[in-house]
Amino acid sequence: MHAIQSHYWAVRDYLSPVLRESKFKEHGRITPDEFVAAGDFLAYKFPVWSWEKGEASKAKEYLPADKQYLVTRGVPCLRRATSLAYTDADEDAEQLLSVGPEFGTQGKEDEWVQTHSGRTTTDNAANPGDIDEIPDDDFVHEHGASGLSRGVANMSIGGSGGHVEAPTPDLDDIPDMEEEGLEEAEDDAAAAPTVIEAKDVEVARGNLLQVRTYDVMITYDKYYQTPRIWLLGYDENGVPLTPPQIFQDVSADHALKTVTIEAFPHSATLQAASVHPCKHASVMKKVIERMNTSVVEEQRKAVGGKPATSPSSDPSKRSKWLGGVVRKVTGGSSSGTPTSPTPTASSSAPGGGEAGLEDVEGMRVDFYLVVFLKFIASIVPTIEVDSTTAF
Amino acid sequence: MTVVQFNPLTSTVSPSLWHALTKLKIDVLKLSQDTVPISASYSAGRTVTDRETGTDVPLPSTLTVAGEAFEATTTLPSHSVSALGVLKNFNTIEEFKAADKQALFNDVAQEIWNSIKSSPDPSKDLSRFLLITFADLKKYKFYYWFAFPAFISKPAWEIEESGWQTAEDNLGRGALESIFTSAQSLGGSSTPAFFLARPSSIPSEYETAPLGQYATFFANTAQSSRIVAFLDPSAHPQHPGWPLRNALFYISYLHSLSPHSAQPLRLSVLCLRDSELPGPEKPWKSRFGIVSLPLAPGASAPLEEGGARPAAVGWEKNTLGKLAPRMADLAPMMDPTQLADQAV
Repeated sequence: MHAIQSHYWAVRDYLSPVLRESKFKEHGRITPDEFVAAGDFLAYKFPVWSWEKGEASKAKEYLPADKQYLVTRGVPCLRRATSLAYTDADEDAEQLLSVGPEFGTQGKEDEWVQTHSGRTTTDNAANPGDIDEIPDDDFVHEHGASGLSRGVANMSIGGSGGHVEAPTPDLDDIPDMEEEGLEEAEDDAAAAPTVIEAKDVEVARGNLLQVRTYDVMITYDKYYQTPRIWLLGYDENGVPLTPPQIFQDVSADHALKTVTIEAFPHSATLQAASVHPCKHASVMKKVIERMNTSVVEEQRKAVGGKPATSPSSDPSKRSKWLGGVVRKVTGGSSSGTPTSPTPTASSSAPGGGEAGLEDVEGMRVDFYLVVFLKFIASIVPTIEVDSTTAF
Repeated sequence: MTVVQFNPLTSTVSPSLWHALTKLKIDVLKLSQDTVPISASYSAGRTVTDRETGTDVPLPSTLTVAGEAFEATTTLPSHSVSALGVLKNFNTIEEFKAADKQALFNDVAQEIWNSIKSSPDPSKDLSRFLLITFADLKKYKFYYWFAFPAFISKPAWEIEESGWQTAEDNLGRGALESIFTSAQSLGGSSTPAFFLARPSSIPSEYETAPLGQYATFFANTAQSSRIVAFLDPSAHPQHPGWPLRNALFYISYLHSLSPHSAQPLRLSVLCLRDSELPGPEKPWKSRFGIVSLPLAPGASAPLEEGGARPAAVGWEKNTLGKLAPRMADLAPMMDPTQLADQAV
């Protein structure tokens, strides 16, 4: 069934037209050119991201051959998202998080809600070893053990629930091959085999730190016309994670619903966990709108006589923001004005200050992936994909 | 004085490598068990700040083998240096078990030793590695074992009582920045795996040179001013990374050939753990230590030219800390029936 579905998706992807017109403000979707521009900007600003060409046979012709997808390797993931189960009691702990000056905006309107800051995870402190808990169990228990309902429960979600426990790599499978005589020479100069010292990985507030690392890829999804995120995980010993283990790092709202294991489009055989992009466009639209709205308010204040008191050191970037709002207000945006910046323009974007108020460009599409990563960070809260907070 | 202890390298194998190996095995290697060249990379060890507690968690860099490891030209990930090695794939698990692993290990060690003895700059060979594999293609299981040969230095290198300290305290920010920028231009655009640094004629400025120029570059430099720097995959405060081991061995070899071989050797080592210049408020993460090589009792020259290859160690331990192969079970990610269960 899954194979059929995959083929259907492949065909659908093949038949769907390449988006040519810039739509990112109206729909949250971007064109391949804009994807490349945003990717160039991301890789320029945050060098941990780099372009990959992928397998030549799987190259997409609407993207440059050497810029098929973005990758960053070794993204740390300190603890499991399942240990971050978010309850109403945690609402008090929400913190407003400033988006920061790279967007040229300041003030309350631009703050994001950071939901998982400074919470005391008391229940975890009580039983620190409880990280591998499987949420599906409760469902089965609650719904009683009567044969039918349990059977139904197992049918619908049990396929995964029953799976969660099974396929951790069975160490017994490894033939006993320890070789005693292999290294006869005594070796004083090798440090103790601890990869990470126990004292450094302290039991932090009852949460055992199990440092996993992830390879994160961003591809362009032609059908949904949005970027798409892919995850390949490794445990602290560098052993690839199984799908159930990866789902531990996905917030409970999304595991097994929007995050699934799919064939990676730039490899003939590779499978990776992916966030399904069907809602990306609408979420991105909301986020982008929200940002534009806040700029409108600031602009009104500015028009009302007060000079813009933004501490942002780059006024030109600011004017681009305002410009975007101006055009949105005057309704000139849907007429297909050429907004897609060229890659060369994007690479000079952080400092490029040539545009005045007349040269209206709107929210630079270059920021798209930066914003996108902040959105993804909410789905995988413990994987530090959003390196942009460092700025 | 305590013996310098090095943090062993560990491996991270991308699942895409196993896909590439499967393809290589079916299309190219078939039943051949010849060794094939393979490339990998490592970067500087990092510390990540835990957002919840604010503490810094050390995150050592691992030797990462990616899917394009078999390709002749690969693009290195940013801030990484490459390590070259050989892969030997066995056709059956019995052959894998029965293989003369020590012989394979010695072959790689010999290559490093040859390079140390004869190459003008052995930098790229100092981190050579061996990877033996058995691919169970039907069960999607891959058995593998890495070895990172490192020569045992006799007598062992020692570190001063003060131990490894922050480079910032010892050298100062200005000096570090100078070394860092100079090294970047030395390695093209990224930091080279190993390099040398000495104070230049301009005050508080430093010059750098490739490791291979040790003799000429340091000819007129006082021992206290000689800095050997390397990109350090370790994140441990008191243990430098494994690659330093062969670099120090190379230097001790050069020293044994030099006319000053009767004198003890003393060096400053810079463990570079910053992949970019830190911001004005952020501290440097690099470490600094002064190491010395005591004279071997009874022998003035610990090594002789043309002598036998010294003993080496470096098999990677498995996840249980034993000397045994590791296994990557990709069935959950490759087996069609298991994947079907995951599908929504």
